[in-house]
Amino acid sequence: MTVDQASSPAVGRPRPTAKTGRTRSTARTGPSMTTRKHRAFYMFASPWIIGFSLLTIAPMAYALWLSFTTYDGISPHWHYVGLGNYRELMGDSVTWDALGRAGLFALTSVPLSIIAGLALAVLVNRPLKARGLFRTLLYLPAVVPPVGAGIAFKNLFDQNSGAANGALTFFGFDAIGWLADPYARYVLVMTVLWAAGNIMIISLAGLQDVPRELHEAARIDGASAWRAFRSITVPLLSPVLLFQTVTGVIASVQTIMPMLLAPTAGTGGLTSIPQSNYTYMIHVFAEYFALGRYGYASALLWVLFLLILIATGLIFKFTSGVVFYNVDPEAQK
Amino acid sequence: MTATSVHPKSPARVSPARVRIRVNRLVLYTALVVITGLFLGPFGWLILTGLKAPAELAAAPVHWLPTHFEWRNFVDAYKAIDFLGYARNSLIIATIYATLVTLSSAWVGFGFARLTAPGKKVLFGILIGSMMLPQMITLLPTYLIFAKFGMVDTYWPWVLWGLSSAPYLVFLFRQFFAGLPRELEEAAIVDGCGYGAIFWRIFLPQSWPVLSASFVIAFTWTWGDYIAPQLLLSTDHSTLAVAVMTTYVSAAGTPNTNLQAAASVMYVVPILLIFLVAQRGFVAGMSTSGLK
Repeated sequence: MTVDQASSPAVGRPRPTAKTGRTRSTARTGPSMTTRKHRAFYMFASPWIIGFSLLTIAPMAYALWLSFTTYDGISPHWHYVGLGNYRELMGDSVTWDALGRAGLFALTSVPLSIIAGLALAVLVNRPLKARGLFRTLLYLPAVVPPVGAGIAFKNLFDQNSGAANGALTFFGFDAIGWLADPYARYVLVMTVLWAAGNIMIISLAGLQDVPRELHEAARIDGASAWRAFRSITVPLLSPVLLFQTVTGVIASVQTIMPMLLAPTAGTGGLTSIPQSNYTYMIHVFAEYFALGRYGYASALLWVLFLLILIATGLIFKFTSGVVFYNVDPEAQK
Repeated sequence: MTATSVHPKSPARVSPARVRIRVNRLVLYTALVVITGLFLGPFGWLILTGLKAPAELAAAPVHWLPTHFEWRNFVDAYKAIDFLGYARNSLIIATIYATLVTLSSAWVGFGFARLTAPGKKVLFGILIGSMMLPQMITLLPTYLIFAKFGMVDTYWPWVLWGLSSAPYLVFLFRQFFAGLPRELEEAAIVDGCGYGAIFWRIFLPQSWPVLSASFVIAFTWTWGDYIAPQLLLSTDHSTLAVAVMTTYVSAAGTPNTNLQAAASVMYVVPILLIFLVAQRGFVAGMSTSGLK
């Protein structure tokens, strides 16, 4: 809008051919500045509009259509079954168990990684020697690609050669089958915690925006460090924490890390994933690629999509009174 | 260092509060070093695993350090598969995607930052909302569509993804372009320049920090992506991520753990190096834009 106001003198500017009758002359010399600007906007936005329509909306619509069929990608004898797949899904205990595991994983990994990331941020926000080095080293694991992280954790928690069991036996405990049931879920959560540097960096940017005077005032009032953290830092960071919660939940629900931690790699190894890591997303992959049930798998996808939308909406709704947006223009500077 | 300074020359002159501060600092540094060690541990163990002989990996109790550093594991891992070929595929795909998506996102970002039109607000809302769309959910039906159009085992999916811009990067460019002074395009408009030319000749050359940041982000995404190449490319034409994950298996079907560990180190290190180099660039870019 401000851009419009600024350019309006240019619109009213007399052109050589536009001395009389603006409408006629613009028809002759081409569209007005405003129209040109509108057209230009759509010219610039078009890659995203077209790409989003073809590579996001169209596939989702296609999946919605498939979810009403028995399509398997090979057999020509597929047919329309209406809500049949959805009805099957409702009564499928494997689906519900997988959904429960995904929910549990989100409910543990997201809060834990946010707490860890925030704690690290507070730690490296103090005036330390080699602070930059600590920040870089703590953030580094977040840069490691999922495949690297998966292989690293597979080796770390290997039954025989892993350091985790090495430490356990060193202290006289029994070795644990970390990558099998029921322990695999803990390893999965640990892969998320390993990347907490991500949350640390984002929280750190937020922490540096917290006005110093607030902490000084709190100290003069005799508030403990914990009290100051809870009453000043956390509220001021709450928009960042909300964003981290939402993206964390979405990321955790769609993680493929169980595939990378499985004994057998690739889509062929989907069946080798231990029960405790057989999350909803893995279930979708298994239905698509191990069983080739495109129709049913598409119904699973759409249910997950709607559940994520609902979960995101609920998170926003329940935090609307808690999240504190700093709108004071003085503090913004 | 901190430990020795706790014992000053004349203890009588040091107040208990001073001692407490020093003890606190000692605890703080110890905690930081331990935590940093824990964070580096998994990667360190990966390197150690890559340096062990197979017999050592089977030994009980666990050998913490290799008795003999098998540096040749790295050579063997490189020779066991067409490592260079897979790395080249990764490089090609990541470069194609990163180049295209950087340019297209800058293009779209310019539109959202500098132009107005009816419907822009709604579109911007959709753009921001689409950042929260679960990528994995849209990927699976997209894969089916790519398969239908015969684009499996080609680089076309990455070209199309690149051309269609990425919401996160669009937002990055929008923020940058919105902060540039208005005079930049005004003179050009008076001179009768089109918006396309304004973007190419005036705005794009200004945006090197964001361009390079965007390229690095997109490049590391693609280099790190496992699932899209796993689904879309056949084993021979796949990327290093897929090859490292799936191809280190002996003829008997057992995993070559040490070679895989060595290979994954070689796969991850370039990304870590890019990050360490680009990290300075980010900071430089931020401080220059902060000066304006």
